Amino acid sequence: MKKIEHTLKNNLDGLYFGNRIILPFHAHFLKVILENEIITDFSNSSEGVQVVEDDDFTSLYFLEIKSLKEKLSKFSSIKMVVCEKDKNIFDFSNHTKLVCYVKEKHKLVIEQLDQDITFIE
Amino acid sequence: MLLADSSFANSVESNTQNQTGASNQNLPNEFMVLPFLILLFMIATGPLFYKHFWEKSFPKISVLLGSVTALYYIVVMKDLYSLHHTITEYISFIALLSSLYVASGGILIKIDKESTPIANVLFLLFGAIISNVIGTTGASMLLIRPFIKMNGERIRPYHIIFFIFIVGNIGGALTPIGDPPLFLGYLSGVPFFWVIANVWYIWVPTLIMVLILFFIIDSFKNSKIVKNNQTYTGKIEFKGIRNVGYLGAIVIAVFMDPNIFSFVPSMYPLPFGFRELIMFAVAFLSYKNANEKILKANEFNFTPIREVAYLFVGIFLTMIPALQLIAVFAKQNNEYFNVGLFFWASGSLSSFLDNAPTYLNFLSASMGKYDLHLNNKADVQDFVLIGSDYLRAISVGAVFFGAMTYIGNGPNFMIKSIAESSGIEMPSFMIYLFKYSIPVLLPIFTIIWILFFY
Repeated sequence: MKKIEHTLKNNLDGLYFGNRIILPFHAHFLKVILENEIITDFSNSSEGVQVVEDDDFTSLYFLEIKSLKEKLSKFSSIKMVVCEKDKNIFDFSNHTKLVCYVKEKHKLVIEQLDQDITFIE
Repeated sequence: MLLADSSFANSVESNTQNQTGASNQNLPNEFMVLPFLILLFMIATGPLFYKHFWEKSFPKISVLLGSVTALYYIVVMKDLYSLHHTITEYISFIALLSSLYVASGGILIKIDKESTPIANVLFLLFGAIISNVIGTTGASMLLIRPFIKMNGERIRPYHIIFFIFIVGNIGGALTPIGDPPLFLGYLSGVPFFWVIANVWYIWVPTLIMVLILFFIIDSFKNSKIVKNNQTYTGKIEFKGIRNVGYLGAIVIAVFMDPNIFSFVPSMYPLPFGFRELIMFAVAFLSYKNANEKILKANEFNFTPIREVAYLFVGIFLTMIPALQLIAVFAKQNNEYFNVGLFFWASGSLSSFLDNAPTYLNFLSASMGKYDLHLNNKADVQDFVLIGSDYLRAISVGAVFFGAMTYIGNGPNFMIKSIAESSGIEMPSFMIYLFKYSIPVLLPIFTIIWILFFY
């Protein structure tokens, strides 16, 4: 199982294609914010975000948009609250806030939340 | 609304008849209010009942409904003037809103202080005062992020809503820079300092009542929160000082008006003035020269301003018939209107319509009681002396009631959007109206009416 901690420690990047982001870790997803859209529905509905796990990565499909590149501007980010799979999800201290930036060549830069950024869980 | 009226910037005199409504002979059909009502209905119900369709389609819907009204004015009414005037207003509105948004996006204020009810009250009070210097939009854009950050995980939608009430609206009632209707009054001949001299004693109790209510709610909610042991330095960090200069330039640009300074060229018949060009230029420079780290920290993006731009193009266009019909009705019935009625009428319509022309319509109607005309500056100055009660009621009504709905004033939607992008689930249009603005503001405005306008 790939861990969030490992991703952050090693500055690993993700990928994005169209409405899909590929994260190099496995996690419980609690909240995702895309611009002013707050997404908490991770069920297999036709709305919100669909989470698909693979052996080495996790894909998030933003079902209501076509292109993340078009949707997000230079300083916009995808923010998320996640929890390591092997940790207690009910303990708030295990919740990690991540910020992802879409860059050129399908690169998705993943960072732990900068304290300057306003992000309320 | 924001400083929306650059048609006044171009020619106060010649515009007044249309500002205050079409003549009786040239009135639009009553059914042409429908596009506005449909848009209003969709703004209210869209996020609740057909969220995804609305979020995807509101730009098209807004433009489409606006186009119906525009076509009606071109083809049926053959009234290009009203259309030109509204487009001019809209460009001016967006110029001010976007320039303040971009300039304040390059400023980062960090407050390392514990969020207590009293700290929040002082913060909101500071916002109310400063909104008279840089406008309600400037103050809102500058302070909303620090306010959210200061409250951290303690923040709730009511914090944001009281911020909209106080910083985004009521605060800016003391100077013509504070809110556009007052600026239009200033351009029409109301002395600059008349507002502060005549409204402060209404502004103070209103603000005190709203702040006390906020304090009670915040204290009650705060008492339920388990405190962590975090320590605070009490330090306030301010980054992006250059952008303060840009904000100052925008405020100065507000006065770059041929009706104020004769050296300012009029660009009529273009639907914008010298002022709007300066504002767009400042916005461009401010974005180009901004510190990227600050933009990143503020997650600067154009989504909130784009949303407002799309939504308000429809609102501005579809409300032309409504404003014209109201203007004629108010003029024909002005003898039945007392001070209190002017307060409620200008206020309630400002909750849903652009409060700048609403203010002018009712100002014109109230001046009609004394056989004075809005297109004559000397008449306006006479009216300031003999009809100050009416002017006060209309000024207060137009500014205060902008807080009643998300569309009552330009900054309201942008504050909501920034709060949502920070992770705060904001209430829908109807919840805002029925859970917050009616229970909180309406009783306070009723007290104000009894005390000052009854």
